[in-house]
Order: sequence, then structure tokens, then C-alpha cells
Amino acid sequence: MYRYDEFDAAFVGGRVAQFSDQVRRRIAGELNEDQFRPLRLMNGLYLQLHAYMLRIAVPYGTMSSRQLRKLAHIARTYDRGYGHFTTRQNIQFNWPKLKDVPAILEELSSVEMHAIQTSGNCIRNITTDQFAGAAADEIIDPRPVAEILRQWSSLHPEFSYLPRKFKIAMTGAPNDRAAIRFHDIGLQAVANAAGDIGWEVWVGGGLGRTPMVGKMINAYVPHEHLLAYLESILRVYNRYGRRDNKFKARIKILVHEEGLETIKGQVEAEFAEVRGGVLTLPQEELDRINTYFAPPAFQELAATRIDVAREAILDPGYGRWLERNLNSHRQPGYVSLTVSLKPIGGAPGDATAEQMEAVADLAERYSFDELRVTHEQNLVLPHVRVADLRAVYDALVAAELADGNAGLITDMIACPGLDYCALANARSIPIAQAISQKFASEERQKEIGDLKIKISGCINACGHHHVGHIGILGVEKKGGELYQITLGGDATENASVGKILGPGFEAEKVPDAIERLVDAYVARRESPAETFIAAFRRLGEAPFKEALYGAG
Amino acid sequence: MEILTGNELISGATVYLDRRGQWVEELQEARVFAVEEGEARDAAIAATKATLRIISLETEKVSVVEGLLVPERLRERIRAKGPTAPVLDRQHLYEDGHVSI
Repeated sequence: MYRYDEFDAAFVGGRVAQFSDQVRRRIAGELNEDQFRPLRLMNGLYLQLHAYMLRIAVPYGTMSSRQLRKLAHIARTYDRGYGHFTTRQNIQFNWPKLKDVPAILEELSSVEMHAIQTSGNCIRNITTDQFAGAAADEIIDPRPVAEILRQWSSLHPEFSYLPRKFKIAMTGAPNDRAAIRFHDIGLQAVANAAGDIGWEVWVGGGLGRTPMVGKMINAYVPHEHLLAYLESILRVYNRYGRRDNKFKARIKILVHEEGLETIKGQVEAEFAEVRGGVLTLPQEELDRINTYFAPPAFQELAATRIDVAREAILDPGYGRWLERNLNSHRQPGYVSLTVSLKPIGGAPGDATAEQMEAVADLAERYSFDELRVTHEQNLVLPHVRVADLRAVYDALVAAELADGNAGLITDMIACPGLDYCALANARSIPIAQAISQKFASEERQKEIGDLKIKISGCINACGHHHVGHIGILGVEKKGGELYQITLGGDATENASVGKILGPGFEAEKVPDAIERLVDAYVARRESPAETFIAAFRRLGEAPFKEALYGAG
Repeated sequence: MEILTGNELISGATVYLDRRGQWVEELQEARVFAVEEGEARDAAIAATKATLRIISLETEKVSVVEGLLVPERLRERIRAKGPTAPVLDRQHLYEDGHVSI
């Protein structure tokens, strides 16, 4: 993992001291709220419905045990004993007091964490594949480049006041688990004709009120020119992005309104100016950063086949967990495993301080002290020996974290919704809970198979409803909540935006509506191997529309 | 009918202006401003802003149902009680969180 150098430490320490003094001045009445609000937002401190909310960055979703233990300590000492992992691989605390925030930031800086650039019209936390550096299908570990981008984008003087916030996601694997086509910039590792690895660059993707699939702006940018190329995109956006209308200010609108070829021409013109200049990434610097992400000291093990069927007979819960929560590792004898934060009836993404400590202990003992946060609001132990799986599972059972439901219908994304969020129009968590309880049966979940439900409490789409195979969007109608259902979204390399099929549903009717869709799928699929999204693409919306609204 | 609500600076807790000019946690203690009391409401807003201690200050429409104040917006009903899923207690004021105008 990356470790702060003296510049990082000084930068974060300096910011803690600066913001601590700003908090002191605010409480003393030397600053009013109009003056203080932009300062607190620069440090990830929002005001939500019931209290402040502190959003802490987990750079590219990678953490050490020490860092997760610190988050547990903060949850217990300054908050209410739990934290909420988000769709941007961050963590949020929902109940901090303003006077405690300087101490929290001090605690975070002691483990090389902070909340800088988790708000505001700047480049936000760069997200990656949660299996980066471990996945069997990976071409390259994207995290060294993500770290270089983090350093480039932190307090970038030119890009601290962009027209709107700016999100970058990367994947080093052809199977996109980071939703790169739905970010302002998406980066996918590719090899050129000579076999050299570089980056395919996608631009103008996004969700929110105007969902758009990103467009490929460059099929191959070599490592050494990536910073210059991204800076060129940001410069074009910073210059031409709309500042007159907040709802049209994202780069996706600029690309859509001007056309990809126009934007591409402007980016190329800018790139021609800066290419080969100070932003050229020296190989020695890339090598230096790469050493921080060198593979851990794996043992030389034989490839190990896990007899899931046998284990399922002996212990069905363990069998389900093996079947659903493991991801193939590039190192024989190892796997990556998903720690589900989606217990039946729970709040998606929530983990107690005790659970965080349990996962930190497991990461330390069984995963080379490393863990990940996923954009689907789960945790990952990236490097676990197959031989240790039973011990890890037993410890997860004790921590109530052993749900074997990764990728199943109960593994939902949900934003905090109107229970917490000042922007929301409707609640999300109770909908997720009700659906989870509706489909609590493990046999039923297994019968349905891969299915992604994503729930947002407003059009800003933090719950990624547009890219859910089934998406649910809460809206306000006549003082109450109404939920629109979309079908056919997909955040992967087969990117698509879901479509609304018809009128919305009241909250209590949503679980039954989802069940009708699921029943329609199960009845019409060619075989259990045909997933929900594959069946939807083959069948079209008609049978699902009929299931929801009748034949009329 | 309207009430004044906001969040207290230190705790962030949801608070309401009561009839004594104090910012309190309990919705049912909120001072209700009738339509013709706009001047008094605006004076209360100005006095509150001068304290610098109440943020996200808003007026909210309420009605009286069976003798209880009920905000018209669901958002405000949730603010008054705390999150519904899971059900959690709302944020409370601390000793240094009492504000009056």
C-alpha cells in the first residue's frame, strides 16, 4: 500500500491545523455560516437532516487494518458506533459534532487518511475495481496510476473550482467492476499492438438527472502521457463547461451538447501543447509508486479447487458463501472474498465498530493487512489463502458478516435517502430492507441468481438506480413518497441505462412489484444460466411491463 | 401556519423556535406563526441569524392534527423524530447548545 511521504504528511497535517482553527473561529463567532460553509465542505463536512455528516475518502477503495481500526475507533468515540460505506468507496459518519471534527481529522491524519475533496466542485476520490491487484482477469493493477492521479488532483490549483464535481474511475481488467462508463472520466487498461499497456479513455458518462453512457475519446494513451491527457480534458471542461446552470454543468452535458468530435478536437489541441512537458510521467516515478503496490509475499501454492457442492452439503451457509462471495485470484491458491454488508433487513453499507474491527483483524491475519471498499457497499479481503477460508468464514459468522449473497437480489445498493440526506425526496433504506426481507429465503435468492437492484432517494442517483438491472427511484408526490421502477440498466462493460416502464408505486407496494418482475423473469428465462439482464435484453420490456401493470 | 426550524451549530441537532424565544428540540413546543404574523416571524429570523448559532434556518408549514403540530412535508416529520430505518434517536443538544433570541 502507498505510504505518505513528507509532502503528503505536511499537506494533510497543515490542512487539519487550518480547519481546526476555522472551526474554532466559527464556534467563537468570528466566522458566520456563509463564510464557514465552503470551508467545511472542502473538508468533507456536510449538514444533513439530523446532524453533520463527515465523508472520509478511502483512496481507490484500499485500506489497511490499522486504518479500518481507526475508523472503528472514530465511530465508537465520536459517533454512534457505526459507519456507512458509500457507492464512491468512501465512508460516512452520520452523527459527528462540530467541536469534535478537528479531533476526528487529527485521528485520521495519524493513519494517513483525510476528508479533503470529498465535496465541492473538484476532482473527487478516484475509484477502482475492488479486486485491483488481485483479480485473475486483470491486465494491470490500476492503483499505482490511481495514486499518481490522486497526487496530481489533490489541491490542483487550476481544478479546485470546476463548473461542477468531477469523478474518475479506473479498471485494470476487461470486466468492468468499477462502472467506468458512468463517470466523468473512465479509464480502462488496454494493450496496444506492440503489447504495451496503456489506457482507453472514456469521457462524459454519468448518472444523476441526465444519465449518459461515457464515450470513448481515446483508444490508447500511454502511461507517461496520461496526466497530460487528463489535464487536457479538464482544461477543456474548465473552460467550456456550463457555469450558468448547475443541472447542466457536468462534463457529460458539454460532451453531449458540443459532440464528441468537437470536444476531442479541443482536447487534442490542448494535448499537443502540454504533451511532453512537465506532466510527462517519468518511468522512475512510476516505478517508485509501483513499489508501494508490489504484490504481497504470496506462498507458492498449487491451484486449489474448492468442492463447493460438498461443502454445501456439510454446511449450507458455508457452501452459499463459497459459491457467491469468492473472486478468482491471479495467484494460485488464493482468492479475494467479499464481506457482505447486506444482511437480511439491514441498512446497505452500514458496519458497526465491532464489525470493522473484526474485518480489520481478519485482514491483518489472513489478507496481508489489506482490505477494500466496493462501490457496491461491501468490503473485500483481497488476498486470502484457500486453506484459510473456513477460518475466515467462522470469524465472519461470529461478527454477523457471513451472508453469502454477493451479487444476489439482496445485495442491493441504496443511498441514505430521506432518512439522512438533505437532498433526498424519498426514503431508500426502508425499501431496501423490505425487498431484502421479501427475498430472505436463500433458496429463492439462489433460484433467481445474479440480479442487481439499485435504489436512489432522489434524481441525483447516488444509489445508481439508472444502472440497476432493476432500478428504483424515490420521488416526492403530493407530500408522499412514490417509487419509479426502471429495468435494463447495467454498469459493466455492457453499459446501458434503465428505462422507466410506467407509473410509480407506493412504498408498501414496491416489494410485490419487484416479485412480479422476478417471477416474470424466472418463468421466461431459457435456463437458470440466463441471467435477469440477459433475459431482459432478449425478451424486451413487454413481459415485464405486463407483470407490473397487467395486460391492459 | 408556519414554524421556524434549523440546526444548532455545535451538535447539528434539529431545533425549533419556541414561544419564549428559545431554540428547543421538541417540535410540539414550537411557536406557530399565523399568516398575519409575518412581521414577528421575520424579526425572529433576523434575531436568530444574529446569534450565528442556528444554521439551515427555514420556515416550515404545519397543521394541527388532534392537538399536535404536524409538518406538511415528510422530510420535516422525519427531521422531528430521527431516522426511520433503522429507527434511531435523533441528535440532541449538548450543554453548550442552548440558543435563545
